[in-house]
Amino acid sequence: MSTVRDDTSPARRDPAGDPLAGGPFADDAPDAAARARRAIEHCYAQGWTDGLPVVPCDEELLGEFLATTDRPADEVILGMAHLNRACTVRLAAINAAMAGCEPAYFPVVLAALDSLVAEGYVTRAIWQSTTGTAPCLLVNGPVRARIGLNSRGNVFGSGFRANATIGRAIRLVGINAFGIRPHELDQATQGTPAKYTCAIAENEEDSPWPPFHVEHGFAPTDSTVTAFTSRSVLHVEARHTTEPEQLLRDLADSVARTGALIHATTSACLVLSPEHAQLLGRAGWSRTDIREFVHEEAVNSRSDLRRVGKSSVSRETRWRLPDDHPDAVADDAGDLIGALAVPESLQIVVAGAPNAGVSAIIETFGPRGPTPAVTRVEATAG
Amino acid sequence: MADGILFERAGVPAVPIITSSFELSARAMAKNHGFPGYEYAIVPHPVASVSAAQLRALAHEVAPRIIEILGVEQ
Repeated sequence: MSTVRDDTSPARRDPAGDPLAGGPFADDAPDAAARARRAIEHCYAQGWTDGLPVVPCDEELLGEFLATTDRPADEVILGMAHLNRACTVRLAAINAAMAGCEPAYFPVVLAALDSLVAEGYVTRAIWQSTTGTAPCLLVNGPVRARIGLNSRGNVFGSGFRANATIGRAIRLVGINAFGIRPHELDQATQGTPAKYTCAIAENEEDSPWPPFHVEHGFAPTDSTVTAFTSRSVLHVEARHTTEPEQLLRDLADSVARTGALIHATTSACLVLSPEHAQLLGRAGWSRTDIREFVHEEAVNSRSDLRRVGKSSVSRETRWRLPDDHPDAVADDAGDLIGALAVPESLQIVVAGAPNAGVSAIIETFGPRGPTPAVTRVEATAG
Repeated sequence: MADGILFERAGVPAVPIITSSFELSARAMAKNHGFPGYEYAIVPHPVASVSAAQLRALAHEVAPRIIEILGVEQ
């Protein structure tokens, strides 16, 4: 059952944009708004929110979510042994409902959780780390259009229920299924705005290349979610050039920034705007070509790293350190130190509006390698 | 904290050492594992960026508290 308001709804028809004029509660019981508010405040009082209001979930709404999946309600979808807690399909459904998802989004939420488990960091306490990461979710395939996921303008921004609530459902799972709340088990020093939500769809239609999930072995008719545990989303505005090499060097310099080099090497996901992607595609560059070029160009000189105290690595952890640190050993590189261990440490996605040379770099957690956690959305999604 | 509690439950005496910045999360973790009164030793924050000499001094400072929590008679 959809709760999305169509274009003929009173709120949309009201010329002044006042939601109370002939508004959403006009046809309901006179105290409907007050009752809704009491339920929302109750959820706040229980500590069940991320700071924004949640949708109160009852058995009826829960049933609508559970009806979208063949998986049993008591199946454990994500366990955290160190917390002695687990998230079942039922708990995931309750939190997706509270996040404001439509029931039809739920198979995507489940695939996102599966993808996080496959990626591996979530079960190793990353949601409690001072680093303050958040999952960035990438959705591919037909499910994007079916549930209204935005892949175009303002793709990282606000305005789209599916993007806003699917990402938020993951956060509410952390808060409510695992008790990972700030100032308690969530020890993030600063966190990231992506902790509210970060879910994008690939703009497959404006991309010069096969979709991301097809590159990783899925059929174009499959729908998938790929979760990236991420430190930040970095903005790169590059309207100045039509030379592929100049554009890619500009992006490579941001990939290699010293602040991102916590360990010996880093990893990233380039989210190219259609304009940048098409510039590269027209010039004959494949994703593999881009990866190899950026891998070669994302470098720091030894003296650049020495300037910031990162020219050696720790013997045990491989964190970057000053040369004179007692744990420091050489990093086995020459005078130019690559920021990416292998070309496959870089993933490439196309998203955004085809209107400007503005791209982004998702600064992903860990060194990574060839296989991102591309995970199929259950077919019962429709 | 979780490691310490699991060691204790396996019969191995253990005392977690945390820095002062992590008291809230240490208590939350102990509560999560059904052991809200679990004792731990606290050292001043930070530890990650101190010198080897400062680290040694911290160890000397906290050692009596660890022995106390372990219940070792002196």
